[in-house]
Amino acid sequence: MLRVSRIRTRQPDIGQRSWTAYLYILPSLFVYAVFVLWPVLDTLRLSFYEWDGVSTPRLIGLSNYLRLLEDQVFHIALRNNLLFIAFYTLFPISFALFLTALMTRRRFRGLSFFRAGLFVPYVMSMVVVGVVWRWIYNPAFGPLNQLLQAIGLGSWARPWLGDFNLALPAVGVVGTWVQYGFCMVLFIAGVQRIDETLYDAAKIDGANELQQFWHVTLPGLYSEISIALVTTLITALKIFDLVFVTTRGGPGNQTMVVSLWLYNNAFQINRVGYAAAIAVVLTILILLISYVVLTMRLRAGREEA
Amino acid sequence: MNAVLRVTSILALLAVLTACVPPTPIAREAEAPPATPTPAVEVVTLQIWDIWTAETDSQVIETLHQEFEAAHPGVKINRVVKAFEDMKATAKLALSSPDGPDVAQINQGEPDMGALVKAGLLVNLTPLAEQYGWFEKISPGIVARNSFTADGKVFGEGNLYGMPPTAELVGVYYRKDIFAELGLSIPKTFAEFEAILETLKGAGHVPITFGNLDGWPAVHTYGEIQNVLLGAEGRQYLDDLIYARGNVGWDVPVNVAAAAKLQEWVKQGYFTPGFEGISYDDSWSLFNNGQGAMMLTGSWMSSTFAAGPYGDKMGFFLVPPETEGGRKLSIGGTSTAYAIRVGSPHVDLAAQYIDWMMSDRAAELWLQNKTVPVQPVDPALVAPGTLFADLVSAWNFMNETDAVGHYLDWATPTFYDTITAALQELLALRITPEEFVQKLQADYAAFLEEKASR
Repeated sequence: MLRVSRIRTRQPDIGQRSWTAYLYILPSLFVYAVFVLWPVLDTLRLSFYEWDGVSTPRLIGLSNYLRLLEDQVFHIALRNNLLFIAFYTLFPISFALFLTALMTRRRFRGLSFFRAGLFVPYVMSMVVVGVVWRWIYNPAFGPLNQLLQAIGLGSWARPWLGDFNLALPAVGVVGTWVQYGFCMVLFIAGVQRIDETLYDAAKIDGANELQQFWHVTLPGLYSEISIALVTTLITALKIFDLVFVTTRGGPGNQTMVVSLWLYNNAFQINRVGYAAAIAVVLTILILLISYVVLTMRLRAGREEA
Repeated sequence: MNAVLRVTSILALLAVLTACVPPTPIAREAEAPPATPTPAVEVVTLQIWDIWTAETDSQVIETLHQEFEAAHPGVKINRVVKAFEDMKATAKLALSSPDGPDVAQINQGEPDMGALVKAGLLVNLTPLAEQYGWFEKISPGIVARNSFTADGKVFGEGNLYGMPPTAELVGVYYRKDIFAELGLSIPKTFAEFEAILETLKGAGHVPITFGNLDGWPAVHTYGEIQNVLLGAEGRQYLDDLIYARGNVGWDVPVNVAAAAKLQEWVKQGYFTPGFEGISYDDSWSLFNNGQGAMMLTGSWMSSTFAAGPYGDKMGFFLVPPETEGGRKLSIGGTSTAYAIRVGSPHVDLAAQYIDWMMSDRAAELWLQNKTVPVQPVDPALVAPGTLFADLVSAWNFMNETDAVGHYLDWATPTFYDTITAALQELLALRITPEEFVQKLQADYAAFLEEKASR
């Protein structure tokens, strides 16, 4: 039998912490703690050790971090990550804005077909994308060089992924190809949110298509653009799979990126502590950039309101 | 090294696992010799971890296991198959566990076998090797690369910790039909080899099919040229270099000369055009389909090439020395090695198992599988005139003359990254041979310094 008084004592505690709620999230919190929080903290701890993965770890303080300052490959990798931002963030966002302007202000046949088709690259696994583009770029039988030869531009044919000057742009273009579909879908959805009367007003004021885009569409897409900015920036900073499949960081270290250098250290040459330090630096970098972009967005949001 | 293997490993692993269902006990008494006279029916399970993921390799192992179980009543083998990388990643943990594998296949070299020896996880096999006569089956060079001092600090000497069952060798695959058409024969000197390159180029063939997008194939090309130029001094110099002893370094003229020779070949156009952008898998596929007269690579490609469209037209020879009959090393090695876990309750049985995996019967099965076994082989067991016969006789020669050379990326833990990156720059003619050698020396010197500070 239930005692009524026990039920009566329970009051809606607004503003107070409801400990029962924590009980509900406990199972998933446990899983999260074991598989995410604990490894993250352990990585931080390991970054202060020298450890080969087998023997007893040796505490070496900040040596791993000091070594990072002198590691030339790490510097090259960091520079390449910044270059990849152009291909993963700037180009896709600009290109997606262009396509959005094209697709939303004009109605034409097969529009949804194009929308879906242009989104496909984003849905595919990066490894599959990498393998396919490795074929496309293949100097011996790849379609790209064959096409160039067929249209009389044979002298432009290159060993793309093996060329010291072209390898990074070649991998980068694949990134652009993958990323713009995501940005485009985001922007198209955003445009539908913009009040049509704003366009009407602009037209009455004599604004042409370009001016409408600049003064109505672009400000209206502000929050979508900042979301695209954060996600693509993070992707650019943690890029791994595409480089791993296409060039493994080569030729030389022309396409080496931070996460690949991390992988090499941790799993190829057993410098687990050093790799942990790289991971920590990469995480801080990503947090920092996300923080900057998000605060910019909040501030802009407040100004808007 | 087993790039091909790794690609198919997942599929193969699945195949193997499904094939691993305990075999139904077929009439075993027929061939079982009375190995253990005691009728005690105590069931002993031997835990074996290996990396034979490819289906044909796996069949050899399964056959050997069945025959071993038949010869040892009461013994049951529990086999776990891991992909190469997977084994690398899990062996350390498994071997330190009290119910870990009795026998595991361990990758040689400091980061793997060395670390395990240092952690005291592997049984010293030297007394067992003397008892079973294993030292007669492998040449001193191969013993050395499975050896460490007991503290795991010095590589290449001390105790034996692993026994590798099969061999790997690097040399030149060539198309017999193209050679015949141009009146060429197998070169006996390096000068003759270079003359062949020139002739093939002149006749419109790609002399050497090559793809270096992955970086490591050039390590073999460079290494073979280096072996030629080192000649008879190679054994001492490269042993000292790879095992980090005797105060040698990379900055010697012969290494610069080898790099210059490689650049000369690039300038002469002896390699597949656009090789910088062609992956290893694509390069062997090109050669397998008739594009190119020669390809410098390892014995792991032999069964693919033998089964390919030009299989019956292919032969194999080792890169020739500078002077006819001169001594030189050839890049080569072995499969990863069987090692016994410290704390295994069945060390004697594990030793018998390894001995069985190194037996004549095992060699016979490996030969049927077109894999070169590590021990000396009777050439009569191989069909004459085939590609595989060339490989077996080349390995016999290397084994007899103790000419099994080194994979250069073993020099330091970071050397793979260093040499592959430096070779790509060298081949793109972006750095001089001197700068190339300086890059290698910088890595090597840093390693020696670090080693000394420990």
